[in-house]
Amino acid sequence: MHGPARLQLTEDGRLKHLLTTEGLPKSLITELLDTAETFLSSQGQPVKKVPLLRGRTVVNLFFENSTRTRTTFDIAAHRLSADVVNLDIRTSSASKGESLFDTLKNLEAMQADLFVVRHSAGGAPFFIANRVTPNIAVINAGDGTHAHPTQALLDLLTIRREKGDPAKLSVAIVGDLKHSRVARSLIHGLRGLHCRDIRAIGPATLLPSDLETLGVTSFHQIEQGLAGVDVVVLLRLQKERMQSALLPSEREFFNLYGMTEARLKLAHPNAIVMHPGPINRGVEIANEVADGPQAVILDQVTNGIAVRMAVMAMTLSTQQGMHT
Amino acid sequence: MSALIFENIRILSPGSALNGANRIGIDQGVFVDPNSLPEAPRIDGGNQLLIPGLIDLRTHLREPGLEHKGSIASETRAAVAGGITTVVSTPNTDPLVDSPADVRLVLERALYSGLCRVLPTALLTQGGSGTHLSEMAALRDAGCVALTQGDQPFQSRKVQFNALNYAKSLGIPVILNAESRDFAGGCAHAGRIATGLGLPLNSPLSEILGMGVDLELVEASGARVHFSRLTTARAVDKLRDAKARGLPVTGDVSLAHLIFNETALEELDPVFHLQRPLRTETDRQALLAGVVDGTIDAIVTDHSPHEPGAKLAPFPETDTGMSLIEVTLNLLLKLQSPEAGLDELLAAMTSRPAEIIEQTDLGSINYGKTADCVLFDPEGRRSPETTTWHSAGQNSPFFDQTLPGRIVGVWIDGQSVDAHA
Repeated sequence: MHGPARLQLTEDGRLKHLLTTEGLPKSLITELLDTAETFLSSQGQPVKKVPLLRGRTVVNLFFENSTRTRTTFDIAAHRLSADVVNLDIRTSSASKGESLFDTLKNLEAMQADLFVVRHSAGGAPFFIANRVTPNIAVINAGDGTHAHPTQALLDLLTIRREKGDPAKLSVAIVGDLKHSRVARSLIHGLRGLHCRDIRAIGPATLLPSDLETLGVTSFHQIEQGLAGVDVVVLLRLQKERMQSALLPSEREFFNLYGMTEARLKLAHPNAIVMHPGPINRGVEIANEVADGPQAVILDQVTNGIAVRMAVMAMTLSTQQGMHT
Repeated sequence: MSALIFENIRILSPGSALNGANRIGIDQGVFVDPNSLPEAPRIDGGNQLLIPGLIDLRTHLREPGLEHKGSIASETRAAVAGGITTVVSTPNTDPLVDSPADVRLVLERALYSGLCRVLPTALLTQGGSGTHLSEMAALRDAGCVALTQGDQPFQSRKVQFNALNYAKSLGIPVILNAESRDFAGGCAHAGRIATGLGLPLNSPLSEILGMGVDLELVEASGARVHFSRLTTARAVDKLRDAKARGLPVTGDVSLAHLIFNETALEELDPVFHLQRPLRTETDRQALLAGVVDGTIDAIVTDHSPHEPGAKLAPFPETDTGMSLIEVTLNLLLKLQSPEAGLDELLAAMTSRPAEIIEQTDLGSINYGKTADCVLFDPEGRRSPETTTWHSAGQNSPFFDQTLPGRIVGVWIDGQSVDAHA
């Protein structure tokens, strides 16, 4: 287990930060997903409010722009009765020349209990977790192209609720895996739950070189990759990929890899279609699929709140158990 | 200068006729036949090894202008503690070294506060602009031993070609960092580890393509070029082929690239954030084999001291480089193996770098050569600690490790020098 993976666990294997899904044991992932389930009502809606984190302060520390992820963390913290501070410091501190380290020390002095961190540099939440006062929990809300563990957990929760045990499923991830922290974290999470058939589908310019070592099979032809899969995960295509000559156009991407009804028929008849959002209609996904019965994209959003509640509750409970 | 004689020693000086001898004399700062010094005081070497003082072709002394990172005083002391008696300083200071006045400033400060010999390099183009050639003849006359483009790219390959041609006409060695601008950037080798950690990637194609073009320019200009800090197996092959074709090229590798590979980044420790990234184990082995078979001529420390704040940030945002000069000899011993003999490793930090910078009075224990030498116990051990570290840069991965070798004494120009004094 490498640095980030080890740093997030206590010596007896409990979760004190959530930095990456890499190296998370099956028992911990299952515990996280089970806890998230308890925050969902029988109708699958997140419970409105529980007093678990009353009197605790959650700081959303976003060095990179994000409305959706921050909002779900915000809602999750409120539903746990925590006080929430949203800090959008992607330009302010940096433009004043304040280092990440000093920003962190200032916020600590304001007596935060939990930092939710998004940063453009891979490893930044690891840097923070390594240096915070011991009783503060750190949750990675996305760092560079490294990891986005809460997104992976909400994907796993969605898969488990819709299709059952991931160990018995075939999962295809389509699109720009190379620049995707979502894909990387999902792959580690699926591997943690012993999923044996993980496929990556995309052109060579958008697939990372280390896929085989992660236990993933690569396909350049979507028709081959989709055959019989239970879960299709589409990734958002960023416009920058065209500017850096990794792709000719969105149109050609849709023609080669876009999820259409016809292509979806190649998957298992009851396959689900997932997407971390926001979706690009007509680029990764055709309208009829996005709005069709197999898409669970909005369920993912709902599950995301429950998962983030679970992660906050578990990490803070570990931190408090250690220091009170 | 007083004369002296070393007795009861084992001389290890690759390529010297005195290799293996047990006695040597020093008089007037040069090695002499001990029989010519009947009255000289004796030093009993306790049957330890006496080697030529090490020569480092790439040291960041940080002075002038970057004294918050290190100074000539602190870093030359660190060098001596590592068995180094000559450092070739980089021009990446503030101001950059690109005029005779800058060269003289470095030399004067070295004379005033330096513990070992300092040989400056200067920039090939004014201010590192990559557009206007520096006054190379004046730089040479001021005491600069080689010219380099430093960290800035040439504006064009044509300017580079002109710089090489001009340097050739003056007979000045040129140091290049093989790099293709098209593939430059990134802070970690584009391989399994960095991909997994989501770090910005540097493709080995940067060095490989850059070197390919550089070699064509060497062939076309006839300039003598030294490639600094090769990192890939492919570049070692290219250097070997170029030498076989008779091109006037040499190359070096940094100690860090011989000791570590990309897996060192797994902990995201910024101490392993280097300007030229650590690559695969295959590359590391090819680099070491290149040193052993002579394809790679020299080993450099690329010693880069930093203030703590420079490494106190997420990995990609930290400054590059490692502070390691003061364990240089220990690291050479650590690299020693049945495949990589101490002879070959030592040659890469003594006689061969001396030839590259045309200072052939250095780097060898033989009669008439400058009396720079190190007496050390290869069976001894050393555990570096932050409290006794001489370098101002504590950005080192070697603290609290036990490294082989213990230095007994260092002599420069026949005078005993002591980093600890």
